[in-house]
Amino acid sequence: MPKRKLDPLPSAAFQILLVLAGEDLHGYGIMRQVAEQTDSRMRLGPGTLYSSIQTLLEAKLIEELDQREDAKLGQERRRYYRLTSAGRKLARSEAERLADLLRVARTRKILRGDYV
Amino acid sequence: MSEKIYACLLRLFPSHFRESYGDQALQLFRDRARNEKGFFAHLRLWLDLLADLAISVPRQYLYVRPAFTGAAAQDRMQGAPAFFVLVDKSPGAASLIFGCAFSMIALSFFSILLIHAGNNRPSSASIHQPEHATDSRVSALGQATGQPPGDANDVIANAHGVNPGEVMHNYSQSTSLLPRLPVALPRQLQDAAQRKRLINAVIDNLNKHYVDPDAARKTAVALLTHEKNGDDDQVTNGEAFANLLTKQIREVSHDMHLEVVYSQAPLPNLLPEPAAENLARYRKALEHDNCTFEKVEILTHNIGYLKLNAFPDPRVCHATATAAMASLNPADAIIFDLRDNRGGYSSMVSQIAAYLFDHPEYMYDPRESPTQQSWTRSPVAGNRLADKPIYVLTSHSTVSAAEQFCYDLKMLKRVTVVGETTRGSAHAGVFHRLDDHFGMGIPETKVINPFSKTDWEGVGVEPDVKVNAAEALETAEKLAESRLQKK
Repeated sequence: MPKRKLDPLPSAAFQILLVLAGEDLHGYGIMRQVAEQTDSRMRLGPGTLYSSIQTLLEAKLIEELDQREDAKLGQERRRYYRLTSAGRKLARSEAERLADLLRVARTRKILRGDYV
Repeated sequence: MSEKIYACLLRLFPSHFRESYGDQALQLFRDRARNEKGFFAHLRLWLDLLADLAISVPRQYLYVRPAFTGAAAQDRMQGAPAFFVLVDKSPGAASLIFGCAFSMIALSFFSILLIHAGNNRPSSASIHQPEHATDSRVSALGQATGQPPGDANDVIANAHGVNPGEVMHNYSQSTSLLPRLPVALPRQLQDAAQRKRLINAVIDNLNKHYVDPDAARKTAVALLTHEKNGDDDQVTNGEAFANLLTKQIREVSHDMHLEVVYSQAPLPNLLPEPAAENLARYRKALEHDNCTFEKVEILTHNIGYLKLNAFPDPRVCHATATAAMASLNPADAIIFDLRDNRGGYSSMVSQIAAYLFDHPEYMYDPRESPTQQSWTRSPVAGNRLADKPIYVLTSHSTVSAAEQFCYDLKMLKRVTVVGETTRGSAHAGVFHRLDDHFGMGIPETKVINPFSKTDWEGVGVEPDVKVNAAEALETAEKLAESRLQKK
C-alpha cells in the first residue's frame, strides 16, 4: 500500500499551511480561508480537509490545540490547529520553490509582469 | 435531514478516520449548510461533498498509518512476520453473530464437499498401491500397472525407497519414480481425441529419443495408419490401449524394449529428488543389513559360499564387498547364491566379477553404454580366486543386475550356472512420461552385445545345470566337490 507522503507537498496541504501561517483556525475556518485565498477555486470537502490535517499532524507540521468556541459560529466547541515551526519552514521552502518556478516561467516569457 | 444523509455517507470512511475526524467533518458540514443558503449554494455543497467522498474515501483505505509501517519495518528487521489489526474497534455483536453463522455455513459446506468427494474414491481394495518406489525403468512400472508387489521384477529402491532387503537397481540416470499415490482415476479413455493425443505423444517421444531415427519414423507412420483405419477405436481401457500401442510399435520396430505402459495412479510430473535424510537412511539401512551379503562362509571341502541378495550401491558397500570377497580367498571353489538376488548396481557386478579374472573383462550391460566401470578391475591385489571354479545359483526370481552377472560370466565361460532360468528382465528402455497415466520405455542407447544377438530380456539366463532352485546348492556343492577331487 502506498504511504501518503508530503513530498511533493499536495496543494491542499500547502494551502492549509498558508492559512495557518496567518492564525490558528478550526476546520471550517481553514476551509473558508482556503476558498477565499483561491477565489473559491479550491473548496476543501471534509474528507480531503481532514485527511490533509491528519497527514500534517503526523508529520508534525501542524499541531492540535485545545477545543474552544468560535464566537462567530455559535457555542459549539471546535478543535483548533496551529502551524509548527517545521510547518512554517516547509511552507516557506515550498513558496520559494514556486517562486523559482515563476522566475523560470518569466524568463521563458510564459508569465508577464514584474511581481516576484 | 441532510445532516443525517451525510452522517450515513461518512460511514463509508474507515473506522480510524471516522473516530478521529467524524465529528469534525459533520460539524464542518453543519457550518457550511448553515452558511450556504439557497438552492444553488446547497447544490454546490452537495456536489462538493460527493466529489470529496469520491476522492478521499479510496485514499483513506489506501492510507497506511505510520505506526504500522514503522512497526512492520522494525519487525521485518528482526526476521519475524508482523500482523496488525487495521480496525482498532472491537467487532460489534452483529458482526460476531454474522461471523459465527458464516463460519458454520462454510464448515458445513466443506464437510458436504468432503463427503461427496470421498464417495468418488474407489474402495481401497480396488487400488493397487506399489509397495515401493520403483526403479525408473519400464518394467518397474509393472507395479503400477498391476503386477503384484514384491515381484522380482520390481527391482527397486535406490535412495528413494529404502529397503536394502529388496535391493536397488540403478540402471538409469534419467529416471522417474512412481510414488505411492492414493488417488485412482477412471481407467476409461474418454474419446478418440484422447487416443489421438497419446499417439502423438508416443510419436514425439520416439522421434526425439529412440536410438534408431529411421525405425522411429516407420513406427510413427504405422501408428497413424492404425489410428486412421480405426484399429484403436474399440479400446477404451487405458491398460488395453497401452498394450495395443506396444504391440503396434513392436510389429514395426521389432524392438522388445519399446513399450507403452499405463499407470492407474497418476504419474508424477517432476522427478522427486532424493532427500538428504532419505539417502542417509538408505545408507544406514544398507549397512545394517550388511549390504545384503547374507551369508559368507566356507563349506565342507573348502568350498566358499556367498549368499548375496542384491548388487548394492558400491558407494556404500564397497568395503563390505571387499571384505566378503577377501574372506573367501582361501577357498578352492566359490558358490555365489543369487537365488534371492533382486538386482542392483552394474558397478557392483563389475566389482565382484573383478575377483574372478586375472585381467580386465568387459561386463556387458544392455542398459548402459559402456563406462569405465564396465571393465572389471582385475587383477585384484592379493586375490587368489581368479582361477578357481565358480558356481552361480539361480532361481526364477533372480533378476536384473543378478542376471547380468550370470549372463556375462556364463558367456565368458567363467561360471557354471546351476538352478532355474532367471526372470528375464533387462529393463532396456528409459522411461518417458506421456501424460498423467501413460508413459513409455524407449531405448536411448544401443549397446553392442559382444556375446550374442540377444540378451536375457524376456527369456532369462538359462542355467548350465537345470535343477529346482531348492536343490541348486546341493547340486553345486556336489559338482564342485567332484571337480576338486579330479584335480
